[in-house]
Amino acid sequence: MTEVAVLGVGMHPFGKFADRSVTDLCRSAVLAALADAGISWREVEAVAAASSRFSGGKGWGLNGNDVVEDLGSTGVPVYNLSAGCAAGGNAFHIGYTLVASGMHDVVLVVGGEKMPKGFIQTSGVEEATDPEFLRQRCIGVSGPAFWGMLCRRRMEDYGTTEEHLAMIAVKAHANSVHNPNARFRKPFTLEEVLQSPMVCFPLRLFEICPVSDGAAAAVICSARFARRKTTKPVWVAGSAVATARFDDGMTRHLAAVSPPGKTMHSEAKLAVETAFERAGLGPRDLSLVELQDNTVYYELAFPEEWGLCAEGEAERLVEQGETGPTGRLPINPSGGFQSFGEATTAMGVFQVAELTWQLRGDAGARQVPNARVGLGQTIGLGGNATAVMLKT
Amino acid sequence: MTQRIPVIEGLFAELPEGPRLLGSRCAHCATPYFPRSPVCHHPDCDAGRIENRMEDVAFGPSGVLYSHAVQNYPPPPPAKFDEPYQPYAVGMIDLAEGLRVLGRIATDDFSKLQGGMPVELIVDRLYRDGDGNDVVTWQFRPAEAAGHRNQGRRKP
Repeated sequence: MTEVAVLGVGMHPFGKFADRSVTDLCRSAVLAALADAGISWREVEAVAAASSRFSGGKGWGLNGNDVVEDLGSTGVPVYNLSAGCAAGGNAFHIGYTLVASGMHDVVLVVGGEKMPKGFIQTSGVEEATDPEFLRQRCIGVSGPAFWGMLCRRRMEDYGTTEEHLAMIAVKAHANSVHNPNARFRKPFTLEEVLQSPMVCFPLRLFEICPVSDGAAAAVICSARFARRKTTKPVWVAGSAVATARFDDGMTRHLAAVSPPGKTMHSEAKLAVETAFERAGLGPRDLSLVELQDNTVYYELAFPEEWGLCAEGEAERLVEQGETGPTGRLPINPSGGFQSFGEATTAMGVFQVAELTWQLRGDAGARQVPNARVGLGQTIGLGGNATAVMLKT
Repeated sequence: MTQRIPVIEGLFAELPEGPRLLGSRCAHCATPYFPRSPVCHHPDCDAGRIENRMEDVAFGPSGVLYSHAVQNYPPPPPAKFDEPYQPYAVGMIDLAEGLRVLGRIATDDFSKLQGGMPVELIVDRLYRDGDGNDVVTWQFRPAEAAGHRNQGRRKP
C-alpha cells in the first residue's frame, strides 16, 4: 500500500439552488478542487463518485459519469458508489484504495446532491416485502422518530436534559457563523432552540438537520505525485467502510433480535475502530472530529461508542464547552449537518474538505488550534458506514 | 357495518388467547424473527444455511418498553392516519421471546411512558378507510395488571 495524500479540495456552498443543477454544483466543487490541487482535468486518472438518490445520474446513480461528461470525456474509469447517506464516504474510500493499491496516481472523489423539500421520504415501493414500506404504513415512524427514541433512552440512562440537546445546536451554529460554505450562519440562543417546534419528542426542529443542495470534491494522489506538487500535503492516515452487525440493537426492519448490550450503531463503531487500527492512531491522537450530526443526539452517543470519551461523559463535555473548536474534543467545527443541511450523498466528501482545511490551518475563525489529526464519519441506510482519518 | 381490516395480511392475528405477532424461529439456532422469515439470517447459523428449517411462532403479548418518541408532526407517505392528525407515540419494545419490535404505543398520556415499563400487545385502529372500515395494526399499551406495577425499570 502506498501512502495517499489529499492534494486539493473544493466545495459548492450549501443551500437551496432552484436554478442550478446537481451537475452545476459538482462542476463548481470539482473545479475548485482541481485548482486547489494545482492540476488540470486531464491529469485525473479515475473518478469515484457518490451515487445520488435524488438528482442527476440518469436515474441510475451514474453521477460520476455526469461529472466526466460535463468536464470533458477523457475515457477515465468511473466508479459510482451507492451507500445511502454514507455514499460520499464510500466513494472516498474506493478512491483511496485505487491510489493506495498503486492502480492510479491521481483520483477525483466527488459527491453532489439536490434534495427535494421536506423530510426524506421512502423509496415509493409499496410492497409487503419492503421493510421501510411496512414501517411507515403499519406504524408511521419517521427518521426523526428513530432518533427521538434513541435520544429519549439516553435521557433516561444518563440524565441528558433538553438543555444539553439545545447546547449542541447552539455550538453548531456558533461555528457556522465563521463558515462561508454553511447554509445557516446565524447564531442561535439556547432559548431559540428550546422554543423551536417539537418534531419528534424529545427532538426539536433546531436539533435535527434539514436537507440542502450542495457538492464537494477532493483530489487524492500518491505520495510520489504529492511531493511534486506541494511541500505540505495532508495524508490519509486510515480509511474504512463497514456495515451493521447482526447483533445490533437498532430495529432496522420491524424488529431486531434483542441485543445483550446496547450496540445501536454497530456499523459506525466498526468503521471508526477499523480506521483507528489502520491509521495506528487512537482517540487520544484526535485534534477534531467531523461526525454525521443528523441530530444533536449523535454528538452525545457517537463519541462514547467510539471510545473518544467515557460512557455518560458526553453531556459534561458539552456543558464545559469541550466540544467547541478550542475544547478538548472539538466536534464539527464546520457547523456540521445542523448548519449545512444534509445533501445526503455529498457529506462524506464535505467532511474530507473540512478536515483538510483544518489540518492545513486554513479554517479561519473556526480553526482548531494546532490541528494534526482529524476523523470524518458517515452512516447511511442499509447499515452502511465509513470513517476516514487525515493527518498532517 | 364497520369491519376490521388488517393493515397488511400475515403480520399479526387476533387469536382466541389474544393478539399475537406472527413470526418465525430458526429450528437450528433459535433466532426469532418478525415478520416471518423463510430463512435464517444469523451469520453463525451454518447449519441453518444448509438445511433451512424455520418454524412459525406467535409472539406476545408481554413486553418491556425500551424507549419511545412522539410523532409530533404528520409523517410523509406511505404512512396513513385519521384527519385531523393527532400526534402518537412510537416505541421499541423488548418482547420476552428475545425480539425488539417497533410499534405504536396506544396512550393519551405520553408523560407516563418510561423505559422499562411493562407493555402488552393489542390490535387497534390505525385509520378509518374511505368505506368506513377500521384498518387495524399491532400496537402496545402500558400493562395495567397490578402485578406489573412494581417491576420498575430494567437496567440497560
